[in-house]
This record gives sequence, C-alpha cells and structure tokens, in this order.
Amino acid sequence: MSPHDFFITPFSYGFMQRGLLSAVLLSLSGGLLGCILVLRRLALMGDALSHSLLPGIGIAWLIFGPSTTALFVGALIAGLLTALGSAFLSRLTRVKEDAAFGSLFIIFFAGGIALISKLPTRLDLTHFLFGSVLGVSMPDLQLAAAVSTATVVTFIVFFRSILLETFDPIFHRATGGRGGLVHFCFLALTVLNLVAALQTMGIVLALGLFLLPAVSAYLWCDHFNRMLLLSVAFALVGSVAGILLSYHAGLASGASIVLCLGAVFFISALISPHHGIISRMAKLVSRSPGEKSPFA
Amino acid sequence: MPDATHKILRFRDVTVCYGRTAALQQITLDIPCGSSTAILGRNGAGKSTLLRAILGWHSLATGEILLGDAHPQHVLPRLAYLPQRQSIDWDFPITVRAVVEQGRFPSLKLCQRLGARDHAIVNRALDELGITEFASRQIRMLSGGQQQRVFLARALAQGADIFLLDEPFAGLDLFATEELSHILRAWETQGRTVLASMHEIDLTRQVFTQGVLLDTTLIASGPIARVLSPENIDRAYRQGRCVHDNPLHLARTTEFPR
Repeated sequence: MSPHDFFITPFSYGFMQRGLLSAVLLSLSGGLLGCILVLRRLALMGDALSHSLLPGIGIAWLIFGPSTTALFVGALIAGLLTALGSAFLSRLTRVKEDAAFGSLFIIFFAGGIALISKLPTRLDLTHFLFGSVLGVSMPDLQLAAAVSTATVVTFIVFFRSILLETFDPIFHRATGGRGGLVHFCFLALTVLNLVAALQTMGIVLALGLFLLPAVSAYLWCDHFNRMLLLSVAFALVGSVAGILLSYHAGLASGASIVLCLGAVFFISALISPHHGIISRMAKLVSRSPGEKSPFA
Repeated sequence: MPDATHKILRFRDVTVCYGRTAALQQITLDIPCGSSTAILGRNGAGKSTLLRAILGWHSLATGEILLGDAHPQHVLPRLAYLPQRQSIDWDFPITVRAVVEQGRFPSLKLCQRLGARDHAIVNRALDELGITEFASRQIRMLSGGQQQRVFLARALAQGADIFLLDEPFAGLDLFATEELSHILRAWETQGRTVLASMHEIDLTRQVFTQGVLLDTTLIASGPIARVLSPENIDRAYRQGRCVHDNPLHLARTTEFPR
C-alpha cells in the first residue's frame, strides 16, 4: 500500500472528512480542558460526568427525535444536574463530594441505559456508548466547531484566571478573582465538549480524548503553557492516527483514537526524561541505599 | 509610642458567624502601620477567620473593617495574602519565575501581556528574596524555605503594602524558620505591615513586635511582651478544650528578652 493510499485515500469519503475534522476540532479544545482536569485532580470526575449525560440524551431522543440540538441540550442538562446535584448532596448531607458524584453518575447512567433499551425507535445503544465516525453529520460538525472555538477563545482570553484558579485558587480569590465563575465555566465547557465528542468518541470513551493527551504532556513539561500546547499536539496526533487506524483495521473510531492516545501515554510514562519510569529507576539505582526512594 | 503611629487596619465591633457559631465576637482592634503583628490563640480561636475577614471572604454579622478610610474589598491590590503551604500542588508544571509573575496578574487588563515594568518588578522581587538563581526551576526542586520565599516574592511583586500570612512557619525546618524570621524582621524595618497567624509562642516573641491574642473574643492586643503575659496566655488557652495539664509549661517558666 502506497503512502497515498494509506494517508489520503481514506479521506476521499465525505464521512471520513467529517469524522477527521470533528476529531481535529475537538482535539484543540479537549487537549486544553484535559490539562485542567489533570492538574485539578478532576480526572475521575470528568469520567463520571460523561457517563451521566446518557439519560439526557435518551430523553431528548424520546421527545425530539434525532435532532443534534435536542441531544446537545438534553446532555447538557443531565451533566449540569449531576454536577450541581452532587455539590448540593455533599453540602446538605454527610456524604463527601466524590462519593456523591459517584453515586449520582451511576444512577444517571443506569437510568439512561434503562431508558434507551425501552425506546420505541430502533436506536443502537452502542452507538452512543462507543461512538461511530460514520455518524458525524453536518450539524454535529458545526456543533464541534462552535464548542471548540468557544473553548479555545476562553482559554486565550482568560488564560491568567484559569492558571491562577488551577494553581492557587486561594490566591486567585484573594486578588479579587471570581473562582466560582471560572469553575462553573470550566464544568460547562467540559460538558459541552463531551457532548460534541459524542458522535465520534461515544460517551464512555470521549474523556480519553481529553485526559490522555493531557496526562502524557504532564509527564514532559515543567511549564503550564507548554503543557497546554503539547497536550493539544498529542491530541491531534492521536486522533488523526486513531481515525486512520479505525479505517484500515475496521475498528470503532472512539476505541482506536483512545488506543493511539494510550500508546502515547505509555511511551511518555516510560521514557519521559524527568518524570518517567526509566529515569526514576535510574535515579533509584544511582542513589545510596540510605536515601529515600521516590516511590516511598 | 504606639499610640502616635498611624493605624492602618481598624476593626470596629467585628463579629463573624459560621451558622450559629460565632468565630469572632465583637473584635475592636487597631493594627499600627508598618508593624509586624502576630495573631495567636488556640485552634478555632478565629486566627484564620480574622485574616480572611480582612479580605472580605466572610460577611460580617456586626461591625466593620477599615483599611485607611476604605473597606478592604475595594483596595485588594494593597493586600497580599499568603496561603498555607499545604494548599499548593508542588508538582504543578510551573517555574519559580512564573509563580512570582502571578503577582503582576491582578494589575493587568484582560489579554494584556507582562510589560518591561512588570518584568523589572518580578526581577526585583526574585532578587530581594535571593531566589534569582532558582528562577527557572520547577517549584518542587526547592527546599521548604526556598519554596516559602517564592510565595513571599509573589506577594512583593503584587506591590502590596500589607501582608497577610496564614501560618507562615508551619512545616518549616530550623534553618528555614531562621531564614523567614530574618525576612519578616527586615520587612518591618522597611515599613511593611505584616499580619501573621502563629502557633509557636517562643518564636512569635522573637519575630513580632505586636500581638493579637484571640479566643473568638479579643483577649489582648498591643506590644508583644504585654500581650503574651502569663495571665493572658492562660485566659486564651486554658478556657479551651485543652486536655493537657499545662501545655504551655515552657512558655510560662522561661525568661524571654523583651
């Protein structure tokens, strides 16, 4: 197979072009958001959030049919309900926020699965759970473009507030920053991006496009802005490679994107010059026995 | 002549409540300009609440706090707040210089970049705290004392004249403690106003000239030697839920220089 057949021919199909464009757009915003998720230790919360979107999608489908806008609004409402609900639960009861979030998302997810399995129309559940590059329609692409633009613009304009809120929220507040607002915008952007990534990636795997590039970049960078840029670069490489893999090997698009990004992550974890396994092992070996181990 | 000095921070009948519990009750207090003041008291006596009330984070049930003639929320650039060490993620991908540059952020407009003047201020702050040579290191690659100095430098870069430090000595080793004491004493001679919540009474006597002793109500305030009299310490700490027989044995039996 010539390079042309490998890299170019797949994208002569309209659905592949749309799939690629959607993945590229969401890599830009997902790579940025992922960094904040990783640095604020919200990675698992992001996962929970993505699962909780399902009932919103189910209900929207039930009422409005396969309209992108309806699915989008439904998912948005479900995501915000989970986020706000767990915030309320943790403040009004003894339950801590992580447990509240965990409980709510699993209930929402179960509700969504129950709902979709009972839907009168012939709707493929796996399509929502794992995504399909075939399913990216023109409105989906417009949605991805809008969400991605909004995210990138927010990051450029409010870069300093985002940095302060992520690094030192107390200082941000003490200098007159509106931490609550930044946090809410961040949650809203996360939900928007998850919804936009739904068609290509699916609910269960969408977070991989955000999280894996960021956590890989985290292993390489000691500067916040470089981490953001590298994360976006990883996301772009991973999603293009993943779409090609999905085309040539006939795999589900979401899964193959996540697998490609996963490879980047494992390689980074292994060979990163300061924070990787090999360099830490080397330091461990060169230390005298009395010194404290970095793994302790 | 403490009475002749200008009072930079004035508390008038300040009460702060968490739900039904009063964290601070009817505090009336003046902080002299250019002084270094320690806030002492048992756990839950309202030390941190007092600092945060200055920043306007707690709505006051009664009274008011004045910075000069204004409410502090309206002159936030004059205040620099140093959070406790453990609230920082030391693995964050950020260098010393980038942390100090954050001190300039509040005075920049949206999308405005750091200018030559900002860089000069950052350099001066790095220089004053002796961390210029570490400026390009990631913040984990520093000792505890150096890390503390990075955040002091950020506070300097803010251009504030009042420094609110929450437990600045917590978690510092002997050498770093000495270092920070030296810095705080130097700041006082330079006319900077420092307000710090403190735990260790001996150390407080060595570093600070003014003191505020709290037990949700005000026990005493003024020159540190007078505030930390055995009677006042007894009143502030003994009425708490302390189960030890005499937890401040050292402080009460040792002679301290005035």
